[in-house]
Amino acid sequence: MIERLLALLPGRGGAAPIVPEKSVAGRTLLLMITIMGFLSAVTLGGVVLVQKSAIAWSADVGRELTIQLRPVQGEVMESNLRTAVSLAEATPGVASARALTLEESQQLLQPWLGAGLDLTAIEIPRLVVVQLSDPVDADLPGLTRNLEAIEGASLDTHAAWRQQLNTMAGTIVLSGLLVLVLIGAATVLAIIFATRGAMATNREIVDVLHYIGASNHFIAGEFQGRFLSIGLQGGLLGGAAALLFFALVGMAAGNMLSSEAGAQVGVLFGRFALGYEGIVGIVAVVLVIAALTAVTSRMAVRRFLTQMS
Amino acid sequence: MIEFSDVGLRYGNGPEILRDLTFSIEPGSFHFLTGPSGAGKTSLLRLLLLSIKPSRGRVTMFGEDVSSLDRDRLLQMRRHIGIVFQEFRLLDHLTTYENVALPLRVLGQPESEYRNNVTELLDWVGLGERMNALPSLLSGGEKQRAAIARAVIARPRVLLADEPTGNVDPELSSRLVHLFAELNRTLGMTIILATHELPLLDKFTYPRMLLTKGELTIHD
Repeated sequence: MIERLLALLPGRGGAAPIVPEKSVAGRTLLLMITIMGFLSAVTLGGVVLVQKSAIAWSADVGRELTIQLRPVQGEVMESNLRTAVSLAEATPGVASARALTLEESQQLLQPWLGAGLDLTAIEIPRLVVVQLSDPVDADLPGLTRNLEAIEGASLDTHAAWRQQLNTMAGTIVLSGLLVLVLIGAATVLAIIFATRGAMATNREIVDVLHYIGASNHFIAGEFQGRFLSIGLQGGLLGGAAALLFFALVGMAAGNMLSSEAGAQVGVLFGRFALGYEGIVGIVAVVLVIAALTAVTSRMAVRRFLTQMS
Repeated sequence: MIEFSDVGLRYGNGPEILRDLTFSIEPGSFHFLTGPSGAGKTSLLRLLLLSIKPSRGRVTMFGEDVSSLDRDRLLQMRRHIGIVFQEFRLLDHLTTYENVALPLRVLGQPESEYRNNVTELLDWVGLGERMNALPSLLSGGEKQRAAIARAVIARPRVLLADEPTGNVDPELSSRLVHLFAELNRTLGMTIILATHELPLLDKFTYPRMLLTKGELTIHD
């Protein structure tokens, strides 16, 4: 099908290709570009997944605040909780506020203190969970000021944690892009070597074309058509393999999500769904690899022909 | 049409392969180029094909001094020169038809324009039935006729042939030279045919360019 599409390109006219379709160099290059295409697409897909998850985490965390009330001697905790809830609910941009019950607070401590302990004798800090309807315009400074009226109360916006999260996600995205650049550079080098190998293998064809009056421009175009075909085929195979990879990982993750551990993975990485932007990115990788192959091979061919003449 | 004046050729810093060549070739003429192996026949043909430049002297082709031409003009001039090799040099993955049509493809002609011409020429050289065969399935004589058809399909003004009979039997050699003679007579093509087969030359009366140790003499 790719060959039929390429036959529609200008200059080929459906005639038999002057550069042979099947050759050892061509098959090696196809395999190499398929692998590079797969690695590029998986890297890009990974970057998209991390970025999407980071944005989703950040948005979730950014919509929730916590008011912490430390036990203070002389203060009535339940009364302070009610006051904190009222103050939060009266703040612009807040959707709801709810104090965690004593049982819920004790459950939060269970992972550290173990189950079965009677904590009724100890006064433990209590939390009010505040959901924001509008994280951007919520009057958080106002809420912080108002909470000063309650002794032992403090507002945690999770800003530091979000900052760390964004830094980590940014680092992963940058690393992924760097890996993509390195894969691109390796691909270019491999294409240059493969092109020169193919030119040497097809030296007889180049000589004959020269003798019958073909210009370097014409010869380069013939070789470029061949390499564009290889680049497109390799890119498509690599991209398809990457999509299959993500589909399989997504299915595996979906099965895991039924367990509690799987649920944790799901919270961290979502459902491994690339989404629209991931698929567009992989298609772009395929096209970039094909274009990279065509441009690099054309330059290598022109250089080879110039050296020859 | 072609004029050589005091032309010398050496490769790199080596000795002169060709020395003091001075001759002219008239349009529509037929010349044999002969001489012992290593006399410089192929080098002279390469000069005539414009694939190399002389070390000294002046080569004029179609009224232009080739030493002053840029690459594009040289390419245009080369398209007026056809070449036939001893080892045929057909492209193995293309059919006879596709090999013969190659020069027209290179010129950018669409197949609809050249299909009839190529078919007629293949019929003329006796390969009408073999046009879809790959070169590996052709005999030596058929390969050489395909190579000749490829060399003349674009109607070059000059046809060069480098030992075109070297890989075929004596009877077929004679028939191939007759084919060149026919091209010369019917199309008025200027032909220079290099061969070292003296018995073959004796069958024809065309002038002979004799190269000996890099020096040329012409015997009419």
